[in-house]
Amino acid sequence: MNPTSTSFSRRGFLGLAAAVAAIPALAACTGGSPSGGGGGGAVKFWDMPWGTPAYNEAAKKVTEAYAPSSSNLKASYQIIQWNNFYQTYSSAIASKTGPAVSTGGGFQAFQFEQQGAIAYADGVIDALKKNGMYDDFLPGVLDPFKSDKGYIAVPWQLDMRVFWYRKSLFEKAGVAPPTDWNGILEAGKALKKIGAVGFATGAGSGNFFANHVAIQMMLNNGGGVWSPDGQIDVMNDRNLEATEFLYELVSNGIIDPGAVSYTNDNLQAQWKDKKAGYGSYAAGLDNSIGDTSGDLVVAPVVAGPHGDKATLVFPNNIMMYKNTPSQESSDAFLVYYLGQIKQFWQQNLLGSLPVFKSITELPEFAGNPNNVKVIKEWQPIAKTFAARGAALNANHAVLDGGQAISQFAQSVITGTGDAKTALKAFETGLKAVVKS
Amino acid sequence: MTVTTNGLAKARRGVAPGGSGQPLKRNSTSPLKAQRTRTFLWLLLPSVLLLLLINGYPLVYAAIQATHNGSLIDTGEFVGLDNFTSVLTSPALWKAAGFTLVFTIVGVFGSWIVGLGLALLLKTRIPVRGLFKILLLLPWVVPIVVSSTAWNWLLGTPQSPIPALFNAVGLGSPLFLANPTLAAVTVCVFKVWVSFPFMMMMSASALASVDSTVYEAASMDGATKWQQFTQITLPLSARSTYISWILMTIFCVNDFPTIYLLTGGGPVDATTSLVVFAYRTVFQNFQTGQGVAVAFLMTLTLVVVSVILYRQIRKSSVE
Repeated sequence: MNPTSTSFSRRGFLGLAAAVAAIPALAACTGGSPSGGGGGGAVKFWDMPWGTPAYNEAAKKVTEAYAPSSSNLKASYQIIQWNNFYQTYSSAIASKTGPAVSTGGGFQAFQFEQQGAIAYADGVIDALKKNGMYDDFLPGVLDPFKSDKGYIAVPWQLDMRVFWYRKSLFEKAGVAPPTDWNGILEAGKALKKIGAVGFATGAGSGNFFANHVAIQMMLNNGGGVWSPDGQIDVMNDRNLEATEFLYELVSNGIIDPGAVSYTNDNLQAQWKDKKAGYGSYAAGLDNSIGDTSGDLVVAPVVAGPHGDKATLVFPNNIMMYKNTPSQESSDAFLVYYLGQIKQFWQQNLLGSLPVFKSITELPEFAGNPNNVKVIKEWQPIAKTFAARGAALNANHAVLDGGQAISQFAQSVITGTGDAKTALKAFETGLKAVVKS
Repeated sequence: MTVTTNGLAKARRGVAPGGSGQPLKRNSTSPLKAQRTRTFLWLLLPSVLLLLLINGYPLVYAAIQATHNGSLIDTGEFVGLDNFTSVLTSPALWKAAGFTLVFTIVGVFGSWIVGLGLALLLKTRIPVRGLFKILLLLPWVVPIVVSSTAWNWLLGTPQSPIPALFNAVGLGSPLFLANPTLAAVTVCVFKVWVSFPFMMMMSASALASVDSTVYEAASMDGATKWQQFTQITLPLSARSTYISWILMTIFCVNDFPTIYLLTGGGPVDATTSLVVFAYRTVFQNFQTGQGVAVAFLMTLTLVVVSVILYRQIRKSSVE
């Protein structure tokens, strides 16, 4: 190796090193190449994999079957994977190649609205009022989307957290399903004695159920992360009480010590293998793990120590973007699409809950007693991340899945420190990232 | 011994047997030579421009984002070096930097030791050596999503095979991914497992380039196997070793999937590396500027480390 070639290689190598090292930054920052805006003669509808591939096939058929009136455009369908979905949407919107209408993350509409990319759905709401669908919405599901400027998106399904229990394990443990926090504690102790998990949750890679149950318990105690006027209010007495209760479950061994590392697959396996006796999970767990034997049952609503009853819900929504070939066409397509979604429940393609009363009354949906119980008992008490405020906003995206809540939930379910310290760290972390 | 030493020194300089070891004299002022150099540079120019564009544009764009407070869509307001100040004063960053350091040291040297050991083993006459070579490459070849899922299945819950095995032999039921210390150890071991085939290949190619007559000569001079390893094998493969260290350092520092898929950076940030920290900052906390600032700091660190290691390469080449 002669000196000349050595110095040449050195520069080349350092360039390579810098390029490789910059990959995370670049992956995070580069946008897609501009290629023609949001239309191209059709309303582009981007949809996520909400269920099995059969769901997306059905959704595609619905989209392609759309026959607009003469003045409106047709629609095209595209699946966007959950993996890096926010990056996908951001890049597409920045390069004006994004959709005109889309489903997506629960708070995505609010984030893009803050950045001026969302078209308000007031026209759609007016049309729904005219065709009668507006009155078909379940109570309260539309309210979180209303802002001073208009409706930011339109809900189409609900992802709700409810308590589930395994009947056979409760019978074996000789306890009844809990109806209050003390009942959760006692049932948990009894389940532990028979080797079952008394409060199943998980906080492993990509699993946010522990985050959600922490907030769910706060709401269930009349607390919440936000004040009624939308300011951060983590350190209130109700939240502290709820957090202390979770610590008590940990100290009694009712929450599995390994839960902090459980992925969603691990957690589902616990339910499927009849290891989990009781715990919070999404509505539709029975279908998700393929156990419709009647042994896995939605538990009764529990009351907090002060008698409060509440649970957590994520209203998944369909949003429209300003980058559209025709706003009227976007509006018209969305109205059409909302009118067609009942077939997804008729075909049992979605595990989530519908937002329309008429769908909850369909025999295909109401035939499952767990669905009926969720709609009858849990839906009326469901609150969003915005509680104790009402309207959702972009800050809730920072709460959902952010570092602050993940660290809080992981501290709690591993019993690290104490409730007050964990809450304080949660508040500090949240304040550092929330835009006032 | 003197003859052998001279032979080694020549071999390290890449001098053919019987050669003088002196560089060839070249007439650098020849017009033909100058013309060739100009042609060479002109031919090189398009590639250089392309590389500058590919590497330069994203770097400039990232620099803009690191000095602004916007999002992925909107650049936002210019904030100077505020993002760098914020991340550098964050205890979470230093915790992530600490884990990155441990992860990198274990990843680089762990995989090198295992890889070199296996390369030496495969150099000996063992049955079905070819099959072993293929099998040993599998951890590197299998997609990380598959291998992390497999490891999670093996370790994830108390009912998983390995914790169950520990339990069966009376060692309790260790929570490999739930206990912060054990999770950090597991992630590092996983990295070594994923990376040793690369190091094995690098070491095998370096070992293959060492002339077997050098070992024969050393044997005749009475050198033991250990002396041959430390005095011949390691020095003669040093250049290749340093290059593999540089590459593996870059792989480890930038490794996102190995950590994120296995532990997500948890529990309680115990396995959060700088790249996971940067990802979370951008995509979970939506603080694009700060996340990109972290990536810039990583780049700077890697360049410094690469320069230091590169000097070692040059030193070993001169020796």
